[in-house]
Amino acid sequence: MNSSRLKTILRYLVSIIIIGIFVFPIAWFALTSVKPISAVFNKDRVVVFDFEPTFDNYRVTILGGKKSDNNANSSLGMGTSGEGAYDGRGSILSSLIIAVSSTFLATSLSLLAAYALSRLSFRGSQGYMHWVLSQRFLPPIAIIVPLVFIFRDLGLRDTHLGIIIAHTLINIPIALLLLKSFFDDVPVEVDQAAMIDGATRFQCFYLVVLPMIKGGVAATAVLCFIFSWTEFLLSLFLTNSIRTVPVKITTFVTSTGSEWGYISALGTAAIIPGFIFILLVQNHLVRGLTMGAIKD
Amino acid sequence: MASVKISNLQKRYGNIEVLHELDLDVADGRFIVLLGPSGCGKSTLLRMIAGLESVTSGDILFDGKRMNDVHAKDRNIAMVFQNYALYAHMSVRKNMAFSMRLNKTDKKTIDEKVNWASSILGLDEYLDRLPKELSGGQRQRVAMGRAIVRDPEVFLFDEPLSNLDAKLRVQMRTEIKDLHQRLNTTTVYVTHDQIEAMTMADEVVIMRDGYIEQSGTPMEIYDHPNNLFVAQFIGSPSMNILECEVAGQGASSVAVCKGVTLPLPLERSFSTGSKIHYGIRPEHLQISKKSAMHDSAGDQSSLSATVRVVEPTGPEIHVYASLAGQDICAITRERLELQPGEEILLRPDISHVHLFDGETSNAL
Repeated sequence: MNSSRLKTILRYLVSIIIIGIFVFPIAWFALTSVKPISAVFNKDRVVVFDFEPTFDNYRVTILGGKKSDNNANSSLGMGTSGEGAYDGRGSILSSLIIAVSSTFLATSLSLLAAYALSRLSFRGSQGYMHWVLSQRFLPPIAIIVPLVFIFRDLGLRDTHLGIIIAHTLINIPIALLLLKSFFDDVPVEVDQAAMIDGATRFQCFYLVVLPMIKGGVAATAVLCFIFSWTEFLLSLFLTNSIRTVPVKITTFVTSTGSEWGYISALGTAAIIPGFIFILLVQNHLVRGLTMGAIKD
Repeated sequence: MASVKISNLQKRYGNIEVLHELDLDVADGRFIVLLGPSGCGKSTLLRMIAGLESVTSGDILFDGKRMNDVHAKDRNIAMVFQNYALYAHMSVRKNMAFSMRLNKTDKKTIDEKVNWASSILGLDEYLDRLPKELSGGQRQRVAMGRAIVRDPEVFLFDEPLSNLDAKLRVQMRTEIKDLHQRLNTTTVYVTHDQIEAMTMADEVVIMRDGYIEQSGTPMEIYDHPNNLFVAQFIGSPSMNILECEVAGQGASSVAVCKGVTLPLPLERSFSTGSKIHYGIRPEHLQISKKSAMHDSAGDQSSLSATVRVVEPTGPEIHVYASLAGQDICAITRERLELQPGEEILLRPDISHVHLFDGETSNAL
């Protein structure tokens, strides 16, 4: 066997091991979601594949079915809650509304600001950028108490709008920074050429520069969506009845036990929207859209 | 088409003055080239004409109309940038049609104009391609197409050929000149390449440090440089300059440079002891091999130099030699077999000597 072939095999082997390390927890989590409780908790051995798959966890969490007794949770000392306590449909809908809205808001607001910061020079523009970024220096826990009071007084607590605003505010600095760097990649001469061609500043932005950085916009939107979709702390403090998926899942951990089947089912299901969103925008997730505009 | 007049134009960035009260007249239909080293203010001046930079003081007039406060989009100019600045997400056709689409020109006219421009520029088969699918020269042509479809009053070119390879640059140079001859649109062209300036311009404007050093036709500037800077900037290889002192008086006065005696034009008078820069272009130094005869005869007007480097370019040979410790370049069309270290004789053509004041560097 020659050395280059050996190298290729080794490279594949290392890749498979690394992928395995990352994929294993997700795969195990997904596997757990279709295991009967007896396979999740087997005192004698680790059950990997030899179980009778059940979609009962999904039926309860995703389809809003009643919790069945044959789960025999009670015999394992699992907690039981009221009717519909494990129905995750509302949470998924809330999470979707919040994530999509805050992604749209954060991205579109940041786009305008980033274009201005990239193209216009004004006194203190550099300092302004640092100030915007500094908004992310504080961990959310540090601002949560005043935020709860402010949102309560404004009537935004426990509303979709409230969480949308909170997530938008958290996302804007990163989105702004990212989008500004994408705008910076487009040479300013492109704007100037458009202006000489008769475009207004907004037409420059909308008709010329924005289409050239749509890959960057897609990447930014994905980051905002993922943040909002997985965000826990703000959602926990700012809501009572509206439960986003991460918050909802924590309610499956009760004083009497953890519903691992439901947790894994809702958790696995929660991966899907983010996955679909990324699939939708992945075609745009390529750099090089500006290729050809200028001398490479 | 329009004439362009610049009067008392000044540009400041804070306390730094980059253009100092410039005056310039570009007659309707002329092709003028702003030429100068990096940082001389030529691009700033062009961008001010385009309306991309504000005017600190002074006026920019198109056909007598003051343009200072007119937005770039309303000046009816077209500009070609060094880096092409194409709209990467649009096809060649859309790139060219962009300005007309903004003007809400009807589709038929747009198609006609785009087809006209593409046929002039040889872009017919690329109309539906994206800029990234084109070569550098083709992209530059698209940028020019985008400019010509607009029927502009003034064409502005900001170093449009700098990013092209040498062969393409020569080809595009001819194409731009040809285009100007066909369209006859007033053109202001910025470059730091003096060959481009010489070959293309009706008039060359040489700039340095925010001042216009000299303007005139290419040959006027080449043959009669106003000062040492212009003399050395124009011409490749550049003019040889030897720092000399005048010795002797009247018709017998000569320039002496480190012990080497150089002839001075007879019709001019110089005061003894004055310092001068003695300039002679490489093609005005006649090269001959040093033979025994020369050695003994001691030809008065020939200078003895030692060959350092020989550069054959094809049509001519550039010979870099050392004359009294100073570097000097001479060009010959003769097929001389010269070796480094060889002694040669250089005979300056006295009628083409340029003399500059030793202190002010202005032409004498």
